[in-house]
Amino acid sequence: MNAKKRDRVFLFMILPAFIGFVLLFILPTIMSFAYSVTNWSVYKPNYKFIGLDNYVQLFTDTKNIAAIKHSVTYALVITLVQNSLAICFAVLLTRKSIMANMVKSIFFLPAVLSVLVVGFLFQYIMTSADYGLLNSIIRFFGGSPVNWLGNEKIALYSVLSTQVWQWTGWSMVIYIANLKSIDSSLYEAAEIDGASKSQSFRHISLPLLYPAASFNILMSLIGGLKVFDAVFAMTKGGPGYASETIMTTLIREGFNSGRTAYASAFAVVFFVIVFVISKIITFLLNKWEEKIS
Amino acid sequence: MKKKWISLMMCTAIIPSMLVGCGNSASSDTSTNNATTEGSKASDKKVEIRVMAYNAETTRATYLKLLEEKLPNIKVIFEFVALDNFNNVLNSQLQAGQGPDIIEVGGETRLLANAGYLMDLTGEEFPSKYADAGLAPYSVNGKVFATPLQSWYEGIFYNKAIFRDNGIQVPKTFDQFIQIQKDLLAKGTKPQTMGAQSWEPMMKQSIGLVNNDFYSKAENKGFDEKFNTGEVKLADAWLPAVEKWSSLITEGILTKDMLGLSYDQALDEFATGKAAMWESGPWAVNTIMEKNPNMELGMFPIPGSTEGPGWLIGGPGSALAINAKTSHKAEALEILALTATPEAQQALIKDNAGSSFLKGVEIDLGEIYKDSEEAFKAGNVYAPWTAAWISGNPVVEGYGKSLQEVLAGIKTPKQALEEADKVNDTMRESLK
Repeated sequence: MNAKKRDRVFLFMILPAFIGFVLLFILPTIMSFAYSVTNWSVYKPNYKFIGLDNYVQLFTDTKNIAAIKHSVTYALVITLVQNSLAICFAVLLTRKSIMANMVKSIFFLPAVLSVLVVGFLFQYIMTSADYGLLNSIIRFFGGSPVNWLGNEKIALYSVLSTQVWQWTGWSMVIYIANLKSIDSSLYEAAEIDGASKSQSFRHISLPLLYPAASFNILMSLIGGLKVFDAVFAMTKGGPGYASETIMTTLIREGFNSGRTAYASAFAVVFFVIVFVISKIITFLLNKWEEKIS
Repeated sequence: MKKKWISLMMCTAIIPSMLVGCGNSASSDTSTNNATTEGSKASDKKVEIRVMAYNAETTRATYLKLLEEKLPNIKVIFEFVALDNFNNVLNSQLQAGQGPDIIEVGGETRLLANAGYLMDLTGEEFPSKYADAGLAPYSVNGKVFATPLQSWYEGIFYNKAIFRDNGIQVPKTFDQFIQIQKDLLAKGTKPQTMGAQSWEPMMKQSIGLVNNDFYSKAENKGFDEKFNTGEVKLADAWLPAVEKWSSLITEGILTKDMLGLSYDQALDEFATGKAAMWESGPWAVNTIMEKNPNMELGMFPIPGSTEGPGWLIGGPGSALAINAKTSHKAEALEILALTATPEAQQALIKDNAGSSFLKGVEIDLGEIYKDSEEAFKAGNVYAPWTAAWISGNPVVEGYGKSLQEVLAGIKTPKQALEEADKVNDTMRESLK
C-alpha cells in the first residue's frame, strides 16, 4: 500500500469521531456566532439581525465584566494552587513506603464524587449556622467563625478551595505516572555528583515533568474558566453577584431571562477568552519545552 | 497490512451502522408505538403524562393519589425541578420543541403564552369554574392559558412558646415588628433567621411591606401596568417602603452571616427553636413538624407602617398549563378538568395549605394561620411579579440579588431598586 492510500485509510478511521465533532461542537459553535447577532429570545421566536448590539450591551454591563474577572481569577488561582500541591504530593508519594499507596488512593478518592455532591456537602461544612463543621473547628481552637459562603470577598475562594480538594488527587496521579517514567540513572548520576534532594527535584524532576504539567495546567485552566456546577451548588453566584462566573451569568441570561441571543454573544466572548488564554499558556509551555530540550 | 485492512473494514462497518442507528430511530419508534397500541388494546396500557413542577411531590401527594384513582387510564410522571433551576430546564426543553405535557407555571405564563408554547384553554368548560381573580394572571387578551392551583402565600412563622416565654405579642405595625425583634435580641434570643443565601426571602419580605404601604393605597392602583410599559420606576415608588424595611438590617436583626445560610439551614434553625421567627409558607409546615413535633407554630402577616390587618406575599401563585405541542392533549385536558373539582382542590390544600380559586370551595386553614385570618378576609395577599408583571422572574431576581448586596453593605436600597428597574427595561427591550 502506498503512502497516499495509507493516509486515506487513516482519514477514514477518524471519520466517525469527526462527524460527531462537527455535529456536536463545530455546528453549534457556528450557530452561536450566528445567533449572537440577532435578538432571538425564548419568549420571542421571531428574531431579526441586530448587528453587534448584544456585544455592546454585554461590555457595558459591569456585572458581566465582574463575572469575566471572577472566572479568569478562579481559573488562574486553581491552576496554580492545584498543580503546586499536586506536584508536592506526587514527589512525596513516589517514595517507596508502606502507606504511600493507601494515601494515594485517599487523595484520589474525592475525584470520583460528583461536583454537585461535593458542593452540597461543603455547603453544610462551610455554613454559617451553629453546626457548621469548619466553624466549629475554628471555634474549638479559639478562633472567630468565618462566613465562608456569605462573605462577598471570600465566597469565590471558598468554592475554589473545595475544587482544589476534589481535583488535586487527580492531577497528582498524572504527575506520579510522569515521575515514574523518569530514568532513575539520572538521579543516581546527580547523587554521585553530590546534588542535594532539592537540587535533584529542581534540575531533574521539575523539567522532566513537562508532559504531565502541560496537560494538567491546560486542563485545570480550561476547567476553571468553565466553572459552573460548583458555584451553582454552593453560592448560586452570590451573595449578590460576588461569585458569578461567565457560565453562571450565561445560564442566567440565556435560560432564566430567556435572552438566548445575548447569552450566545456571551458564549462567543467566552470562546475567545478560552482561546486566547489557552494560546498564551501553550506558547509559554512550548518555551519551557524548548528550554529543557 | 492485514491489520490495517481489518481496521478499514471495521470502520466502514461502523459508519453505516451509526447512520442506520440515527435514521432508524423514527421507524423503531413507530414500531414501538404500534406495539404499544396493540399492547394497550390487549392490556389497557396507561398513557404517560409528564408533569413538570417546581413544588415538590410531597406537597401534591394527596392530589396525585386522587389522579391515580380517578383517571385509571393515565399514569402521571411527576418531575420536580427546584424553582432556582426550573426556567432553565423548562425553557431549554420548550425551545427544542419538546417539554412536559403539563407545566406548573407562575410569573412567566404570559411570556410563554405569547411565544406560543401553551395551549389555549379558553374554549374548554373547566376554566369558567374558577374565579376571575384566579384566572387573570394566566390570561392574555381574554384567552386563558392556565388554570390556578391553590393560592400560595408567605408570612412570618413564629414559635408561640418563645413569644409566650418572653412576653411578646404578635406585632400589628412594622415598628412593633422591629421592636419585638430588638427585645428578643436584647434577651439573647435570635429573633429571626433567614436563608439569605437565596435571593428570594429578602425580596419577598421587603415586598410584604411594599404591599402594606404602597399597594394598599387607592392612588397606586394600576401601578403594575405602568411598570410593565416603563412609565413608572420602582426606585421612585417603592423607595420609602423598602428603606423602612431595610431598618431590619441597620438594627442588626438581619445579619451578614445569614448570607451563608441556605433555606434548609434556616428552616433547621427555626424548627429547632434557635430562632423565634422565619419567613416562609405552608409548604414548610410538614418539615418543621417532622423536625420538632412539639413546635407551637403560628403565622402572622407582615405588618405595615400603620396598624391594620397586614399583608401576606402571595397570590394565585402557580397554575397548570398544557404544552401546545403535547401529543396527549385529551388526557392532559382530563387532568385539568379533574383538578377543577372541589375534591381535587381539597386534596391539593391538604398537603399545601392555601385558599382555592374554584367557585364554591370553602377552606378552613386551621390554627396555625389564625393570626393571618384578618389579612385573608381583607384579601391582603399579593405578589406583583407573579400577578401582574410581564418579566416578573428576572426583575425580582435582579432585585433580590441586589438586596443581598444591601445586606453585605455594598449597595443601598435605592440602588437595589434601580437594578430591578434596569432589568425591567432590558427585558422590555428584548421583547420588542
